[in-house]
Amino acid sequence: MAALGTSPSTLTDAADVIALLVLLSEFAMLRSSLSRSQVRLYGFQSLCVSVLAGFVAATQHIGELYGLMGLSFVLKVIVVPMVILRLVREVRVDVTASHRLGVATMVLLAIVLSVFGVFVVGRLPVHSHSLPILALGLAAAVILVAFLLVIVRNDVVSQAIGFFSLENGVSVASLVLAAGLPLIVEVAFLFDLLVAVVVFGLLMRVHQGRSRTLSTRALDRLRG
Amino acid sequence: MTGVELDPVEIQVLQDLTILVFAPFVSGAIAHLGARLQGRRGPRVLQPYYDIAKLFCKETLVPEEASWVFLAGPVVAFACYLTVPLLIPVLTQYPLPLGYMGDILGGGFILSLAGFAVALAALESGDPYAQLGSSRAMTFGALIQPSILFVTFTVALVTATDLPYFEAAAVRSSLGQAIAPAHLLAAVAFFLVVLSDTGRIPVETHASTLEFGMIDEARTFEHSGPALALLKWGAAMKQLILYVILINVFAAPWGEAGSRQVGAVLLAIPAFIGKALGVGVIFAVIDNSFSKLRLFKITEFMAVAFLLAVLAVLVLFLGAR
Repeated sequence: MAALGTSPSTLTDAADVIALLVLLSEFAMLRSSLSRSQVRLYGFQSLCVSVLAGFVAATQHIGELYGLMGLSFVLKVIVVPMVILRLVREVRVDVTASHRLGVATMVLLAIVLSVFGVFVVGRLPVHSHSLPILALGLAAAVILVAFLLVIVRNDVVSQAIGFFSLENGVSVASLVLAAGLPLIVEVAFLFDLLVAVVVFGLLMRVHQGRSRTLSTRALDRLRG
Repeated sequence: MTGVELDPVEIQVLQDLTILVFAPFVSGAIAHLGARLQGRRGPRVLQPYYDIAKLFCKETLVPEEASWVFLAGPVVAFACYLTVPLLIPVLTQYPLPLGYMGDILGGGFILSLAGFAVALAALESGDPYAQLGSSRAMTFGALIQPSILFVTFTVALVTATDLPYFEAAAVRSSLGQAIAPAHLLAAVAFFLVVLSDTGRIPVETHASTLEFGMIDEARTFEHSGPALALLKWGAAMKQLILYVILINVFAAPWGEAGSRQVGAVLLAIPAFIGKALGVGVIFAVIDNSFSKLRLFKITEFMAVAFLLAVLAVLVLFLGAR
């Protein structure tokens, strides 16, 4: 790190700020009512994750991570949001206010979950030399809040976005714990994501075709 | 370094006078800029002074049922707003003797006392809109408290005290401390608190005449003459006091006097007013670029402030390991 000419604590702080942005965009996804803005927030979050990967690549001198950064940038910041936005546009159904709970209640619940995540990780005897351990705690919080997003929002787009951002949380966690992971494993993760995009795209189309809505509320209606 | 040195007590009085004299100026400048941003000519920058002077010359009318509380409220509030500048770093980097009299919570209590006095006076008037305003002000004031508490916790974790002077010194001590994630989060959370406490746009329209959206502004409906002047002046002072805490404790604690030299202390006044106007520009821009939240959605805004403040404490907790 001395090669970069800055003190370690400033670098740690910068990494922490990026990890915090990942968590904050997760919160923003949780509360934003428009599907479009959710997708854009997902793009922003993925951008933060890519920057974090580049950061680890630069400080730890791991060349492969540059490849991962580029790949995840192209896929998660450009391709996936574009595909989802196109699907949402085609469906022509404005999905708004699909919250099961009030926004303030949801945010409070999410705060409780992230506090839980951060504290639990804080108790773990983990040491990482690529990123501060706080990033791992924040990644745990991102994963828990993504679960909450999938649970409390009942429209297909939210659930897809929740699932995708879950993957972002896992990416951050893997950057902290196993920055030197072979590139092929990381690429397999990204491939998983692509499969998920296809599945969710299909789900959105079929669901919309059957029930003329993107809300999952229609799913518990019995047919006979 | 042979200049005339000021007595600490004199500096403290000067801090009070700075707030007292320049508060209407800052309010007027923000109102003027806000109007210009909307393409209007807007009131003169010095208009609040003329308003206050005019009101002091008018007679006081009191509702028939109101008791002495109605007239005492504005005076008590004004006295509170004169007390708080003694506790916070307005002009100096070093603590003044009375600065130890109260910490951030102490200052917060005094500001709440002022709000309480105004609310009581509004209740005394018997006017439904004034009562509606004070009821709302108390409710939202209570809802924003958790954020303030967690910001205070952050300060306490960083400095091991909860004195504003020490937080400012910690921020000044190194750039790393100034861009530390916990500090950034706490500063943004406090910014949102100031936005809500000064009645700015996502929470309240500052200069509207629509009673249904009013919170703070509705409380002064029945007051007139010198009492109304005190309330208006007090509101401007409260705003400037919150700016002081935002600027000189969290955001930019640079440019205050480091010594007791007359020149340094006097130079700190324009420096501070400049910084306050800078913050005012940000508030005016926000005022013009966002819409007011519906009354029942204000809790969402407060949840965001709370989220940032809680994250600040979390970051400090795990970052310390």
